[in-house]
Amino acid sequence: MIKIETLSKSFNEKKVLNNLNVEIQKNKITALLGPNGSGKTTLLNIIAGLLNPDQGNIYINNLMVHGTIGTKKVNLKPFERQIGYVFQTNALFPHMKIQDNITYGLKSLHLSKAEIKKRTNTMLKLVDLTEYAQAYPNQLSGGQQQRAALARSLATEPQIILLDEPVSAVDPQYKETFRQELKKYLQTLEITTIYVTHNLNEAFMMADNIAILGNGHIEQIGNKKEIFDKPQSEYVAKFTGTNILKGKATKQQNKQHIQIETNNNTLLTTTSTNTELIGKNVTITIKPEDITLTTKKPTNTNNSNITNTLQGTITEIIQMHSTTQITVDIGFPIKTKITPTMIKKLEATIGDTVYITFNPSTLNIFT
Amino acid sequence: MPPHITHLKQEKKVSKISQLADKTMLTFLMIIVIVYIAFLTLPILSVFLKFDLTQIASQLQTPGIISAIELSLYTSFIATLISILLAVPTGYFLATRKFYGKTVIDTLMDLPLVLPPAVAGIALLYTFAPKGLLGPTFNRLGIIIPGYTVAVIIAEIFVASPFLIRAVKIGFENQDKTLYNSAKILTGSRLRVFFTISLPLAIRAIISGTVMTWARAMGEFGATLMFAGNLPGITQTMPLAIYNMLYSDPLAGLMLSIILISISFAVIIIVKLLEQKKYGEKRG
Repeated sequence: MIKIETLSKSFNEKKVLNNLNVEIQKNKITALLGPNGSGKTTLLNIIAGLLNPDQGNIYINNLMVHGTIGTKKVNLKPFERQIGYVFQTNALFPHMKIQDNITYGLKSLHLSKAEIKKRTNTMLKLVDLTEYAQAYPNQLSGGQQQRAALARSLATEPQIILLDEPVSAVDPQYKETFRQELKKYLQTLEITTIYVTHNLNEAFMMADNIAILGNGHIEQIGNKKEIFDKPQSEYVAKFTGTNILKGKATKQQNKQHIQIETNNNTLLTTTSTNTELIGKNVTITIKPEDITLTTKKPTNTNNSNITNTLQGTITEIIQMHSTTQITVDIGFPIKTKITPTMIKKLEATIGDTVYITFNPSTLNIFT
Repeated sequence: MPPHITHLKQEKKVSKISQLADKTMLTFLMIIVIVYIAFLTLPILSVFLKFDLTQIASQLQTPGIISAIELSLYTSFIATLISILLAVPTGYFLATRKFYGKTVIDTLMDLPLVLPPAVAGIALLYTFAPKGLLGPTFNRLGIIIPGYTVAVIIAEIFVASPFLIRAVKIGFENQDKTLYNSAKILTGSRLRVFFTISLPLAIRAIISGTVMTWARAMGEFGATLMFAGNLPGITQTMPLAIYNMLYSDPLAGLMLSIILISISFAVIIIVKLLEQKKYGEKRG
């Protein structure tokens, strides 16, 4: 477990981390997600002890590694924190063979020669690099180098492992395979992991939990479903590519539903029992994947189901890797995502009038 | 003629003009390169052409030749050794520490590289001569520097050691800082990080800087002449002997020149090889 309290760090009077609080679950992979320059690597370096924060407490498995207890200041050296760190550029020592890179940390642990040899061989086997033990880092591919870096950081049996965009230096055609392998290794080891990335899909694929870093603090942390389905701030919603609408909760429709009037007077129904929202300005988010698109107005076959159906005009069609993103203007732009097969069936094009439908339960609401 | 045919003909014409311009430019470029290479290599070649290599053995018997070679080797070796002891820690310090006035110190360290040798000689005289800045202090200790072999060594250190400082500084500065951070996580000993990571990664730069320093010390002329004098067997190094023999024994001077040219050539080759060397060969 990693616990961080009121952490702040500035560079040349620019606050990169501002009163950051977060708790990273033990033995889970947590993706630290944020745009470039949001302070992800800074946070990682502070946890590792490579950088000192301006203020804040850091605990690793309930042991304070940096902070203040009463009047006593604690600041453990990087080596004393028992962490593994895989850098973006792998940081393998170029003048040492892969085997020597792995034994480097083990030699500081005052282990017997036999134990060092055993652990080195285990690590080489784990990352499938036994035959490259005598090779130099520049003789390996990008993916192999990152695997060697992972083996080196795991060899000392750290309490936590920090991975800073470990896939970025891997050749594009091997990225996917490397991600799968890396996930397999981490799941096998069951170790508390922080996986830094700016790639939403990568975070979703690799992690159990996602922490979104923005504006100097953790905007939201939770499991993958929570982050994507229930963003708790506009920042998170924007980052996850969710539609954001502004409005006011006007009345309770029935026990389960509340009516929202958006800023351009569109009425929406959302599933919520929280009557305290009534009369308040709210932000509503809806995932593009939860919206159905039709060219004909759908007829409500089941009267017990309340749905939101709105008419609009297609303003943009973007063909993506496996989906098509269609923007529909319903008084404000709203994005939908459908499969290429569906778009063929729809036979819709820019300027066409269409209907978007979404279930009230797919709407996420916060003040 | 159909318009598209006319258009094609015009395109061909433009393409021919463009090709001709390219060829003309390339010809001019090659002429400049050849003339320049000839300008740089002909003087060196002329030394070799003028000298009969079979005469080396007899020329070595010329009085003063052996002592000049011995003195050059001795003084340059000592100067290089002292330079290593002074410049490696200084270069490391300048590369890894930030402090107020660092730019000024950096500039001062580079100054001897661009200083005219005669000026360097005068500067050393005004510092170490009996009436110089430190001269009286040395006098009281019974030490006289100018006119002695130690003056040659001091002159060589003064003009040559900045080459080493520069090389060491670049060697440490260019290291990937994440390697250092990575090592700090794996070991608690800063000394171990220095000796196992920082130093081995800078060693090529240090060696090539050392070789350059030694070569510069071997070739030192102006400052030595001004500060140490030109006394056979005491301060007359190879370059000074060449100067002396220019009219009295040109063949012996030529032979010494050939030795110095060969040393310079070997030094450049060594430095280039060191720069190219990689850790292991890349697999396909």
